[in-house]
Amino acid sequence: MEGIVFAILAASIATVLSGIGSAKGVGGAAQTAMGVLSEDSSMFGKMLVLTLLPGTQGLYGFIVGFLIMINCGVLGGEVPTLMQGLAYVAASLAIGFGGMISGFAQGKASVAGISMCAKDESNFSKAMVSITLVEIYALLAFIVSLLMVISIPGIKM
Amino acid sequence: MKSVRIIALKEDRKRILEHLQNSSLIQVRHNEISEDGFGRVDTSPQLQQFDRNEQLMTQALKILDKVSPEKKSLLDSFKGKKEVEPEHIGSIAAASPKIVGICKKICDLEKQKADLSAERVRLKTQTVQLEPWRTLDIPMNTPDTASTAVLIGTFPKMFDDVTLAEALAQEEDLVFEYEIFFSSANLTCAVIFVPKVQKEKAENILRTLGFTRPLNPTSRTPSEKIKRLRQKDAELEEKIAKTTENLKNYIEYRQAISDTIDYYSVRSEKYRVISELDQSNHTFILYGYVPECDCDKLKALCENAACCVVEFSEAGDDAPVKLKNNKFAEPAESIVTMYSPPSKEDVDPTPILAFFFYFFFGMMFSDAGYGLVMLIATSIALKVFKPDKSMRNNLKLFRNCGVATVFWGLVFGSIFGDAPAVYYNLFTGNNVTMAELLPWPVLDTQKDALTIMILSIGLGLVHILVGMGCKFYVCMKHKRYAEAFFDTGLWMTMLIGFAVLAAGVAASPVLITVGAGIAIASAAGLVLTQGRAKKGIFGKLIGGVASLYDITSYISDLLSYSRLLALGLTTGVMAQVFNMLSTLMGTNIFGIIFMIVIFIAGHLITIGLNALGSYVHTMRLQYVEMFSKFYEGGGRKFEPFAVRCNNFKMKNSEEI
Repeated sequence: MEGIVFAILAASIATVLSGIGSAKGVGGAAQTAMGVLSEDSSMFGKMLVLTLLPGTQGLYGFIVGFLIMINCGVLGGEVPTLMQGLAYVAASLAIGFGGMISGFAQGKASVAGISMCAKDESNFSKAMVSITLVEIYALLAFIVSLLMVISIPGIKM
Repeated sequence: MKSVRIIALKEDRKRILEHLQNSSLIQVRHNEISEDGFGRVDTSPQLQQFDRNEQLMTQALKILDKVSPEKKSLLDSFKGKKEVEPEHIGSIAAASPKIVGICKKICDLEKQKADLSAERVRLKTQTVQLEPWRTLDIPMNTPDTASTAVLIGTFPKMFDDVTLAEALAQEEDLVFEYEIFFSSANLTCAVIFVPKVQKEKAENILRTLGFTRPLNPTSRTPSEKIKRLRQKDAELEEKIAKTTENLKNYIEYRQAISDTIDYYSVRSEKYRVISELDQSNHTFILYGYVPECDCDKLKALCENAACCVVEFSEAGDDAPVKLKNNKFAEPAESIVTMYSPPSKEDVDPTPILAFFFYFFFGMMFSDAGYGLVMLIATSIALKVFKPDKSMRNNLKLFRNCGVATVFWGLVFGSIFGDAPAVYYNLFTGNNVTMAELLPWPVLDTQKDALTIMILSIGLGLVHILVGMGCKFYVCMKHKRYAEAFFDTGLWMTMLIGFAVLAAGVAASPVLITVGAGIAIASAAGLVLTQGRAKKGIFGKLIGGVASLYDITSYISDLLSYSRLLALGLTTGVMAQVFNMLSTLMGTNIFGIIFMIVIFIAGHLITIGLNALGSYVHTMRLQYVEMFSKFYEGGGRKFEPFAVRCNNFKMKNSEEI
């Protein structure tokens, strides 16, 4: 029964930490994008894409959090044992920290990409691809967290 | 692409150029020097004139937009340009002097308005400065009387009746009288009366206190002056309003101005071409590039227009590139050109890219409901708006992606997430899953995550192998056999070996041996061949062994495809979350309204976020993982001499 406390903690860690990363990343990118838009509002579409790119980390964290809730008795599934609860916490650390720090880094890349795109719109695709290079690390963290979270209910602890 | 040379009489120049421009068949080639006996015409004065006119009119349009913003709906951007006959341009041309005049007037009016506004600001500061003196009932420049000096002015600090008296009393036997009108932390307005004989003495003291006289004293009392200023301000305001009204009268010309801007940009383009022509006294020569399939069309066009000679020859290495693809691949051309048009060395990667683009996009977006929404929305937009080529291709791109999305949605058993199962359960009280509800076997993104991950990486392997296959083909085509077999072929067999090995681990030990055999043989081949450019037997061997290190880059490329799983899962889970939220209020009437609202809003958010994610990541997989295997890029895009404007396009011209 005590496991549920830790499972909930795990869901929070996954959602909040990666959310912080995305919030900071998107926030910084949005500031720069607004600077560009104040000069030329026709670039809104491109700026929107570049601004949103660091936003995925938060989503990944949220998904891990949600899957934990589904598995651990909050929204369905069975109540985990103490060890299972701790295992959820351990699993959520990957996307929590991976998401947060890659969110910061991707935000910086986004800011640079936006400045580059503002100088010459034809650089858009290059900026976009360069920014997504950062994303892979968030993705790897996400997949690791995800595979663990999915398999924890099946492990007897 | 062919190189073309058109020789014709100078008197036909205008006609031929117009025909060429209206048909957009040819890209004019820039030659550094002209042929012997020919010269160039400098058209820069005309170009500057056009430029000035364009700027003037753009400014006028901006002013009009400010006076009355144009109502534009978001959907307008899908609409295609109006098709016009060449005569239409003639009518715009005829009206252009008048329009330029009108634009000048508009700009003048705007300038008047700006001047008036500046004047208003000036009056405002004056009023503010006078405000503290409001209660003074003598003019600011009241002269001294026969025996008394009047000193009107301000101190830069706070004084009240007591402190001012103290300050003035520093000088003994100074007789004074004063009145304070306004006092604040850093400003005191006062009038001081002293006997005329003591004026100098008083002024000395006042100077030490920082007393200053007003800058521009008037002969009216302050309150009267303020009133006058207010009156003037009102007059100015009225004038500004009148000017704005005047400006509004010109709004009807907005379309005409916009058309005329287009007309000048069309003419600019023509004059730029004229400056590229080699001209003699009676003839001129035009060099250019034309797509091979359009050669006959061009010849017929020119020969119909005037008496001329059209010669074709093989284009050189620096010729521009025009992609030509079938209906399936054409929409993806923009993705290729966004990266870089192919160079002479490259094969056109569009067909392969198109297939994988649709396929991977579908796998990431992976929802039959969303795919259907995309499919229907883009099909309607294509039918209703009849958009121009680039917009049409973008819409088609997403339509095709929509088809793939439906396919993968059905494979993953996701239709608006798990909406059918959720609502079925809600209203019947059952407890079924999507897998049970659908009649075909599905892969559940959550339960079968590992399987889908292996599938993703497998598809990634295929993608990469296809990319390497292209490299192999390109090398063979250019007869670089060593590069084809050793650098590309051996890595391909190596990857295949590993794949067989991996399959063997899961299925049968025979495959393990076969796979390991292929991999080891390829590795040996690589060790033997990769150092071939190095000198000495050791150099060759070390080079060969070091090349095996490249395996890391292939592994990281392959892992990159795990995003296919991650993004697919993201879509599925987000949809599931909103479905769950929508059922929270139960099945009563409010619950159902709540359900509909959440369902629509939630799924719109999911579509927006995930379509963007899928688009970006699909693109990345193409650019970074596949293009890096074979694609050089760096070609120039074919940019024909054409009518390029915002409002209309030529009838019967090639689409650009």
